[in-house]
Amino acid sequence: MIGFVVKRLLYNIPVLLGVALITMLLFNVAAGDPVSIKLGKIAKEGQRKALAKKMGLDKSLVAQYGDFLVQTVTLDFGDSWNDNTPVRKIFFRGVGPTLSLSIPAFLAGAFLSIALALLVAFHRGGWLDRFMTMGAIAGISISSLVYILVLQWLLADRFKLFPIWGYEYGLGAFRFVALPMLIWVLLSVGQDLRYFRTVALEEIGRDYVRTARSKGLSENRILFKHVLRNCSIPIITRLVITVPFLITGSFLLEIFFGIPGLGSTLYTAIQNSDFPIIKAFTMLGTVMFILFNILSDVLYAYFDPRIRLS
Amino acid sequence: MSSDGAMLDTLEETEELRLEVRGPWQEAWRRFKKDRFAMFFLIIFGAFFLLAFSAQIVELVQGDQASYAKSLGEMGYDFPDSHAAPTTKAFPLALFGLDWSGRSVLLRVYHGCKVAFLVGTCGGLLSVLIGMTLGLLAGFFGGWVDGLIVYLYSTVASIPYLLLMLAFAFILKQGHFAEVYRESFLSSYLSLGLFNIILVIGMTSWVSLCRLVRAETMKVRELDFVQAARSLGFGKFRILFKHVLPNVFHLVIISFSLTFVIAIKTEVILTFLGVGVDKEPSWGSMIAIAKNELMRGIWWPLAAAGGMLFLLTLSINYVGDALRDALDPKLKD
Repeated sequence: MIGFVVKRLLYNIPVLLGVALITMLLFNVAAGDPVSIKLGKIAKEGQRKALAKKMGLDKSLVAQYGDFLVQTVTLDFGDSWNDNTPVRKIFFRGVGPTLSLSIPAFLAGAFLSIALALLVAFHRGGWLDRFMTMGAIAGISISSLVYILVLQWLLADRFKLFPIWGYEYGLGAFRFVALPMLIWVLLSVGQDLRYFRTVALEEIGRDYVRTARSKGLSENRILFKHVLRNCSIPIITRLVITVPFLITGSFLLEIFFGIPGLGSTLYTAIQNSDFPIIKAFTMLGTVMFILFNILSDVLYAYFDPRIRLS
Repeated sequence: MSSDGAMLDTLEETEELRLEVRGPWQEAWRRFKKDRFAMFFLIIFGAFFLLAFSAQIVELVQGDQASYAKSLGEMGYDFPDSHAAPTTKAFPLALFGLDWSGRSVLLRVYHGCKVAFLVGTCGGLLSVLIGMTLGLLAGFFGGWVDGLIVYLYSTVASIPYLLLMLAFAFILKQGHFAEVYRESFLSSYLSLGLFNIILVIGMTSWVSLCRLVRAETMKVRELDFVQAARSLGFGKFRILFKHVLPNVFHLVIISFSLTFVIAIKTEVILTFLGVGVDKEPSWGSMIAIAKNELMRGIWWPLAAAGGMLFLLTLSINYVGDALRDALDPKLKD
């Protein structure tokens, strides 16, 4: 197991180098002149040179790439161009609000979609199954922007059930994240339900279910005791893979509801051409993605003894 | 001469045989047709295509004088209210109401069809082309080619999709690229915003198809008919495109329908965030404007754009699902 993890980590080093290269080329080369973006086009030549030197842009591209790699490894991405705060500080400021929204929403969504998937698998072929399958496909066809706009307008503006905008640290946060959470669950349930239903139906068609049935077990017992346990493997691995998206997943919701999390931070950074923040987020997102991918493989092998990691 | 005649006979015979034995595509079509909902949504999709196509022609005819940019007042109708609710007055222009500057919402969603189709078709084709080609090459040739392509897609897939997409769109809009594009001949046919979105979708959403095609090609490569073609001395690329490709092509079709939807949704989100389509009306820009209108109770622009978006997405999603079932050889009925 440890050997596998080490091997996967080593294998992903070139991947990370590649991502760093893409990110650096995008922002240091293709994006135009960062110095003009920061100073505006009418700055004096001396000022420009000094700033380019301070930002390390007077060096060769190879040296700039090296700098960026050092930043990634030390997790020190310098200061934001906008307000000169260290990127690290900005990141830690945003993590709390983001997670206060995304973790409960993720758990609620996962629980709901698994429960619904089992329910429709139990009634497979019946009207409930058909209704839910149609509902799920209609649900995923609505744009996330429309969900957010309509529900915010209806539930917060019209019926005043939730605050429209804002955030409060501590326990008061719940009041503000409740509606975004609801929308998140709605957004994720359609997609997940479709996937989990397929998984459940595939398991139900297997021989051990027929055996269980022929020895006279009740449908309930088969579903919850046998099928659920076998389904848990693809379910868990899918859920683990989506964990990194808990950070980026709330991007639109944070913007719309004024939650000062990582999504809003990124949005502001994009509007202000704040490259250090965008670059840092890209690298951190990639690292998270790689780590959770490995974790999901390990869990897969842990829960399913037929799979050997090699 | 006699051998020619014999060949003609066998040819005719095979023609006759072919009429009785359905090919895999005919078989898939037969199964697809059985799903009445799928046929219904296919017709809806066709209707959208006609709308998009005619909108493109109208735009070409009107040129700079596009009617979607004018308020109904400028067009000679009497509308005192700049954002009138849906009405049958000035039929059919005000059927979906007017937006904040008195322009017809109906005309704007109509031209939005064009943007959606352009983005969906071109973005989908670009992404499918990249994914298919790389997947075929990796699966067929193996070795260092495979290694390189696997490395390429693991790298692209490791960057969170939203970040990659935003970074790309942002750079295309701000950087040197925008200047180069404005000078080029393409810019008079396709606005920079539209071109960017197509490029972003093509560059970022090819990975899943590439993975699938690679795995399937590796399986097909070992099958008997490929061995036979090889022993007949056919060239590598002939085998690849004439013998392997048709056997993985169902993946390409399914992936195209998925990417089409992703492309339309991406246009809406990128435009909303200000890095997408500008100047011309698109469903994304209508939804972006609707954000402020909605709080003042003006719901019809959002309803129109969101409704069209929903109907088109739903029909492709449903048709895509039905296609996947119809093309799956394991699901025999």
